[in-house]
Amino acid sequence: MKRPRLATDLDLAPGIAALALFGVLAAVFLTASFDAPAGFEAGLSVMDGIGYALFDLVEQSPLVTEGFLFAFLAIAVVLDAALDGALLLAKREGGDES
Amino acid sequence: MIETQWYLLLSAAVFSIGLFGILVRDNALLYLMSVELMLNAANINLVAFSLQHGNLTGQVFALFGMALAAAEVAIGLGIILVLYRNFETIDVTVPTTMRW
Amino acid sequence: MTGIYDFVPVIALLPLVSFVVALFAGKYLPKKGALAGIAATGGSLVLSLVVALTVATGKTAGYNETLYTFLEAKGAAPFSLELGVLVDPLSALMLVIVSLISFLVHVFSLGYMNDEGETGLPRYYAGLGLFSFSMLAFVFASNILMAFMFFELVGLCSYLLIGFWFREAGPPSAAKKAFLVTRFGDYFFLVGVVAIFATFGTGAFAGSESFPHLAEQALHGEHAVNTFLGLGEQAWFTVIGLLVLGGVMGKSAQFPFHTWLPDAMEGPTPVSALIHAATMVAAGVFLVARMYGFYALSPTALGVIAFVGGFTALFAATMGIVKQELKQVLAYSTISQYGYMMLALGGGGYVAAVFHLTTHAVFKALLFLGAGSVIIAMHHNENMWDMGGLKDRMPVTYWTFLAGSLALAGIFPFAGFWSKDEVLYETLIHGLGESPLLLGGYAMGLLAVAFTGFYTFRMVFLTFHGKPRTEVAEDPEPVRWNVKGPLVALGVLATTLGAINMVPIKKLTGAHIDYLHQFLDAGPEAFLTNVHHYGELLENPAFAGYGAADIGTSGLLISAGLSLGLALAGAGLAYRLYNVPEPVEHTDRLGRVKTLLMHNYYQDEFQVWLATGLTVPLANVANTFDQGIIDGVVDGISSASRLAGRGVRRIQTGVVRNYAALLTLGLVLLVAFFGVTGGWF
Repeated sequence: MKRPRLATDLDLAPGIAALALFGVLAAVFLTASFDAPAGFEAGLSVMDGIGYALFDLVEQSPLVTEGFLFAFLAIAVVLDAALDGALLLAKREGGDES
Repeated sequence: MIETQWYLLLSAAVFSIGLFGILVRDNALLYLMSVELMLNAANINLVAFSLQHGNLTGQVFALFGMALAAAEVAIGLGIILVLYRNFETIDVTVPTTMRW
Repeated sequence: MTGIYDFVPVIALLPLVSFVVALFAGKYLPKKGALAGIAATGGSLVLSLVVALTVATGKTAGYNETLYTFLEAKGAAPFSLELGVLVDPLSALMLVIVSLISFLVHVFSLGYMNDEGETGLPRYYAGLGLFSFSMLAFVFASNILMAFMFFELVGLCSYLLIGFWFREAGPPSAAKKAFLVTRFGDYFFLVGVVAIFATFGTGAFAGSESFPHLAEQALHGEHAVNTFLGLGEQAWFTVIGLLVLGGVMGKSAQFPFHTWLPDAMEGPTPVSALIHAATMVAAGVFLVARMYGFYALSPTALGVIAFVGGFTALFAATMGIVKQELKQVLAYSTISQYGYMMLALGGGGYVAAVFHLTTHAVFKALLFLGAGSVIIAMHHNENMWDMGGLKDRMPVTYWTFLAGSLALAGIFPFAGFWSKDEVLYETLIHGLGESPLLLGGYAMGLLAVAFTGFYTFRMVFLTFHGKPRTEVAEDPEPVRWNVKGPLVALGVLATTLGAINMVPIKKLTGAHIDYLHQFLDAGPEAFLTNVHHYGELLENPAFAGYGAADIGTSGLLISAGLSLGLALAGAGLAYRLYNVPEPVEHTDRLGRVKTLLMHNYYQDEFQVWLATGLTVPLANVANTFDQGIIDGVVDGISSASRLAGRGVRRIQTGVVRNYAALLTLGLVLLVAFFGVTGGWF
């Protein structure tokens, strides 16, 4: 196996659109004025907060972490569905699941 | 604290790199990788604003986005497999039957 | 009997019923629809006589009602399109004439068509029935739109009947020519009808809301009408009158629309008698008489009518003197006599024109039916040079034909003398009054009298006198009562009909025997269609401004003597040349003039050239313009859009990368645009 080389046989002309988009976005972001970031309290652990929420002990942490719970559940369902979809697409005619 | 603009600039850069890959690459697998890059750029943006507003909702959304990116890759690979079966190649410029 | 007016539409509907019967049940009937036609026209005749009697003597001497309104708008600009019935002395008289001639022609057809074993008779009787319906409805039409509708319908019936023997080459061509030439005139008539409605909002003929009365008020300044083309009121009314005159000239075969009538002789002779002698060609003259209150307002229109009439009278009479076929002479005679009626109308002699219309209907139908009898006897050979000596072999036909010829030539005391003399007298006194143009018409009419006498008696002598020139003439086929009966009836009328309006005797003795004049004056005042109303309009200097010169009784006698003398001179010349045992073609002595007359002054060739040499190239140019430019523009638009579509669809290359590139480009431009306009930078 050869080591990876930089691809030089590509047609790079359409890439200019991507560079143009970067230029426009950079111009917008750098000239925008934001308020000072209001970060989180120092020393708080998000992971602890998620754990407390999992065990229905929300009062133990000042962070609002119930959103994560829903995310976990939804992700589980979606990934399961995606797995089945991939298997379906990959199945050959009369073949077996691999 | 790092100011929010820099996070946004990073996100724009990663997005543009991903977009560059979409516009230039002709290998379907590298195409998918570029799409992943774009999704991750969006995640960076979300987390940056979560810090700026002090609200965890942005991070939840970013988590969701990552999971969806993974699911999408799974399906995308399946599609590339079918593409290979029908066109004998994974060059994205070859399947052009849905045209005028 | 006021209730009788409710039955006036029945007069026209009875022949319509006979049309339907002949069309659908004709082939099962013994006489193929003739008896239905005879019954229907007989019924119409009886009803018409009753109506005429009511108009003449009754207290309610007229009827002007609307039967059906298509469209009506009241208010500031009133407008109405309707079907209605108008019964006044003029239309009552014409109803009697039309139904009488139609009845006699139906009886005659039993002999001419049924007894000769013709085929297709249900179609023939259906055509006659439809024609009678249309003509009668035209006569009692109360407004000009309805008159136009039935005017066209009689033209259609004429086409159908001329082309009755359509399997030969001549009749369909003649039918087409008749239809096209009259249609050409009717085009102007239609424009005139639209102009009347646009100007006055109504087309009614009689009453205070009729368009002649509104026109009269407009010229007095009492009523506002729309005029067009920037013309003043009297000029615009003249234009309308001339437009309607187009249709009149086409239908009544005046120059230059006369070319169809001689060719129309290809139809059966009873059809010629009914349509092309007595009734359909009278429709044009009747229309002018109906609208006389309108024409009397415009001296220019009257002058044109008089001049065209006088010219046609002379023009057709010159062509009649060289014809060899019996019906052709009669056709040119018809054209000439209608010229006299137009001359009378233009010259201000309304009663004279109506009188001549009546007598002409009688004697011309008589002459045509007599010709039909001769044609049956000669086994359908019409050439007069193959006849001769028929007077001993066909006495009834001969004597009735002679009566008709004396009336046509205008010999005292037959009907034609009184009417033609009155036409010329009225034109003369109005011409000497203040209109010298009418004197030209008078001169032409007077000259035509000589020609008329000549060709009429040439016809009589060649056909009936001398020795028979062929075997068929020696032993002609006998004709039956159904031919001789109508001939006798019409012969009696031709002899005696002059008595209804003997104006010279009235002027000499003062006796009130001008019955026709009194009859035409007997309508209700409110209709404004009476003779004395027309007389007032004619003499009013704001309108026609005709003055009647007074030439006294000596002038009257001189004028009558002049026309009688010329007629006798023409007849006398024919007597000397043709009343010999073996006549020769004396007209050959005219040489090249005869060729010109035989070719009808090349009018037919001229009209064909107008169509093929002038109209067809213009039509081709218009066609090229339409196909090239107008179709080209429309096709061009469609090909432009198809071409553009074919170009633009190449964006769909099917390569995903290209789509992504376009998306990105669009996004960049959009964000940049919003950034600049939103002040983000």
